[in-house]
Amino acid sequence: MRTLFKILGKALLILGGLYALLFAVFFFDLDGKALFYGVEPFLVKHYDKMQRRDPLKQTYETETPSYEYKV
Amino acid sequence: MKKIDWKKLKETDWKKAAKDFWYGKPHGERRLGDLYMPKTGLYKHREWRGVKDTFYYFHNIWLYNYAHMVMDIMKFGGPVTFAKGLWRYRWMGQTYLPVLHWFDRGLEGMRGEALRASAWHYRAMVCVSINQFMNMFKADANLHGGQHNDAWKHTFAHKETVWGGVFYPWQDRFTNVPMEMIPYFVTCHVNNHTVLNYIDAVQSIGLPGDPCPMCQAEAGLFVLDDMPDYAPLVVTTNEACDGSVASTAIQDWYLDIPLFALPQPMQFDDPLVQEHCANEIRELWKFIEDQTGVPFDWGQLKKRLERQNELQRFEWEKWDVAANTNHYPINGVAQALYRIYQSQYGDHYIWHDTDKRVRKILEKCVEQKIDTFPKTRHRVIAWSCAPLYYSHWCTWAYNCWGLNCIINMDSLMFDMTIRTDNLDDCVMDMALYHEWAPMRRMAVGGMHHIFELWENMEKFHCDMVMMYDQLQCKGMQGVHGLFEDEFRARNIHAIWMPHALPDKRTVSRSEIRTIINDYMTTVMQEEPLDPSLLDFDDSESW
Amino acid sequence: MRDLKHLIFFENLLQEANNDLVKQARNEGNKALGYTCYFMPEVLLDLPGCFGVRLRAPRSASPDMATYYMSGRTCHYGRSLMERALEGGFNFLDAQMATETCTVTCRFQEHLQRMDIIQNPDFFCEFCDVPFKKTENSFVHFRKQLQAHVLDKLHEKFGVDVSDQALMAAIQQHNEVCRLITEIGSYRKLDEPTITGYEFHVIQLVSLVCPKYLILPYLRETAEEMKTREPDRKRTWRVKVALAGAENDDPDFTKLIESCGARVVADRYCYGSLPGREEIRVEEGQAPLDAIARHYLETSMCPRFMPQDLMRGRKKYLADIVREYKADGLIVASNKFCEYWSYERTMDALILPRDFGIPTCSIEKEYVNSASGQLRTRFQAFIESVEIKKIQEGAKK
Repeated sequence: MRTLFKILGKALLILGGLYALLFAVFFFDLDGKALFYGVEPFLVKHYDKMQRRDPLKQTYETETPSYEYKV
Repeated sequence: MKKIDWKKLKETDWKKAAKDFWYGKPHGERRLGDLYMPKTGLYKHREWRGVKDTFYYFHNIWLYNYAHMVMDIMKFGGPVTFAKGLWRYRWMGQTYLPVLHWFDRGLEGMRGEALRASAWHYRAMVCVSINQFMNMFKADANLHGGQHNDAWKHTFAHKETVWGGVFYPWQDRFTNVPMEMIPYFVTCHVNNHTVLNYIDAVQSIGLPGDPCPMCQAEAGLFVLDDMPDYAPLVVTTNEACDGSVASTAIQDWYLDIPLFALPQPMQFDDPLVQEHCANEIRELWKFIEDQTGVPFDWGQLKKRLERQNELQRFEWEKWDVAANTNHYPINGVAQALYRIYQSQYGDHYIWHDTDKRVRKILEKCVEQKIDTFPKTRHRVIAWSCAPLYYSHWCTWAYNCWGLNCIINMDSLMFDMTIRTDNLDDCVMDMALYHEWAPMRRMAVGGMHHIFELWENMEKFHCDMVMMYDQLQCKGMQGVHGLFEDEFRARNIHAIWMPHALPDKRTVSRSEIRTIINDYMTTVMQEEPLDPSLLDFDDSESW
Repeated sequence: MRDLKHLIFFENLLQEANNDLVKQARNEGNKALGYTCYFMPEVLLDLPGCFGVRLRAPRSASPDMATYYMSGRTCHYGRSLMERALEGGFNFLDAQMATETCTVTCRFQEHLQRMDIIQNPDFFCEFCDVPFKKTENSFVHFRKQLQAHVLDKLHEKFGVDVSDQALMAAIQQHNEVCRLITEIGSYRKLDEPTITGYEFHVIQLVSLVCPKYLILPYLRETAEEMKTREPDRKRTWRVKVALAGAENDDPDFTKLIESCGARVVADRYCYGSLPGREEIRVEEGQAPLDAIARHYLETSMCPRFMPQDLMRGRKKYLADIVREYKADGLIVASNKFCEYWSYERTMDALILPRDFGIPTCSIEKEYVNSASGQLRTRFQAFIESVEIKKIQEGAKK
């Protein structure tokens, strides 16, 4: 019984700590700050250097512009 | 270390401090502007709204929505698909992640039932958005080694301005995903940096800067090769304007798949146009049948339309409360975005879930006569197209000036239910619904429609107009002077809010605030409720 | 080349909307019907007892009053029309037959409807809905619109005879105008064209803004005159170009291009003849109105058409014109703030050189081109580049 209380106590402590941590993240807008200063610049850099298809090279069919549904 | 100011501590009114802690500071003492970090729009800390509302926000909005975003991703396609999409598409990575900040901006200063009802609207929009981009990614050949999988074969692409309802007959077997709704429309609200890439991209191939920036961005998505290859056919439309028609040509170039053009007649008052429009819808159905080999299903159409009618009926109830009481618990931005999203996209289970929750809140407000926006000084109607990068201006305007945006033009568009007792009547109603789309119902088919403003002002008991002035909308620019004449003749207080729809570079949020501040101080001779919100720099914010 | 006999007369007719022939027709008891767009079939406005005038605002300056009403961020053409209307320049109109086919001209016409601008007590403005496709559904719809909003209105308000016989007579007259303009225009296809782009532009415009029955004798005479007209002994141009794009009712713009060393040999723009001057064919047993409705939808190459084959076919059509008229290059000009042509021009400038090998100059202009120095520089540079290309091609051969 005591062990059970101990485990429950620990679990409560961990959950309580996690809750407090989450509340801190929420209250101090740490999610926003991490995204703004960390994640977004990283992703933007990635998108900026991504290899992309050059759309100007795409054909433009004007003679028989009736497209078949190719399923 | 900072010294303790004993003198200040001594002077502190502890009773009031405890009250503020428990209930939150009263409007007027909040100084919300002090919470911002310079330029970024990030918060030094999120607002303390009193114990009850702060923890409601923490549990039922912040935690709930983060958790449900993850759950929705699991439900609609899984984390691998999501991660692939995020890595591939700029609009995805830049937009999806800061979504909770979008909530924050829209819900600043909200308390009680207004906070709750408005937040549910946001939750619904997030859910539908996740559903849509996950459907795109599941079908996207770009994410599947160029292969056209089964999902690709069972998805229809269409312009975001095609009402999703025209695809109801196939919705048990096919999915329809508007091409630009998530990559363009939602991104502007959530993170206004993203869209600038697309506007620049289309101008880089020679397009001048003056066409409607919405159409520019929609075309730019394709020019920048940032559009998933997720469907074997596409349906286009002429809504909202000449620019939509014209930009479709660029989209078609890059899509290079079968295209059906579903036009909306311009002169929608004319009874003669209805049959023509109904026939266009029938021709679309024929096109889908021909292309897919799957027949039209009247049962599906009827079922979905009836569900959609339910949504419309509740919307009318909401309008009734908004128009005639001060118990309406939905703020201006939640009202506007939810309504345009829901009515344009069509039926979805989350709208019904949301409406159920909101109904409870609404009924509570009415029964208990709760004054949901108690600091309202002016009831405002917003007219014309809103700045997408500052759709939450109304939250700011209420907090700063007590301007309560009751209703807006786009909300009033699809103002009808659709008959479902027989197909002929049903298609005729669908035609009219299709014609009464956002940016059209009051904008084309005769100038008198745009002046429906006056009767709606009266209906919603508004005493002020926020007149959106989309600088690149030829239709609205073309009627500018007559509005000026009418405002003067009717002695109406109207604030012109210049903007360029998605492009914050033309008129910044800060400039918009200055224009409102100037009007409120010089013309209305009023004092701000929260002076800390008058001027702050959020130039780099999402 | 020998001067065209009626050129100065034609030029004078273009100096104001209410020109001498318009005045004469009105004095003869005919009703003047304004319109702005090809989608309002001019043939219907030329029924006995009335005549169509495609609206222009020649010699416009700054449209200040119109800018108050329509802001400075709308098409200059639409605003110039509004300004001219506010100045009283369109008071001769008995009606405006309107179409909601591009936003700004639509707004201009709505102002005519809403405000008391046209000082004519009987004036009215009637809108017609124009379809975006060329399908059977569109033809039927357009025919109904023309019946209800043009023929029925003209009959009701002015007692105009709108019978099939009257329509057939109007078609005959219209077809003669088309035949003559096409014949005159065909001299542009010659290796050494015997008509300048400017002259043709003037002739095409007078056929749009004057009562047909009054302008026809002059057109007949000009067509006759063209048969014997010889080109200049010494070539006065360096390259031949086709001119495409948005609304253009300014012959001086064509003159500007030609003054830089080009000869404008094809006019594929709003108010131009390609398309626009094709004859209307009425099949046996076909109602004339049906033929008219089909004709105007089928012949139009407006960027307003949405179907895939039409969007794409427009590029081919443009390339075919360039070849048919033996042009060395193409100038695509869009009016500032014109949504349709901003995109169409952008795509033309990318696709026509790439897929059809046609050198293309893409420019944005105003209705009143006060900044002609800048345009001149652009045209000179383009003409030079086309010339160099021709020399290089010649050397290769």
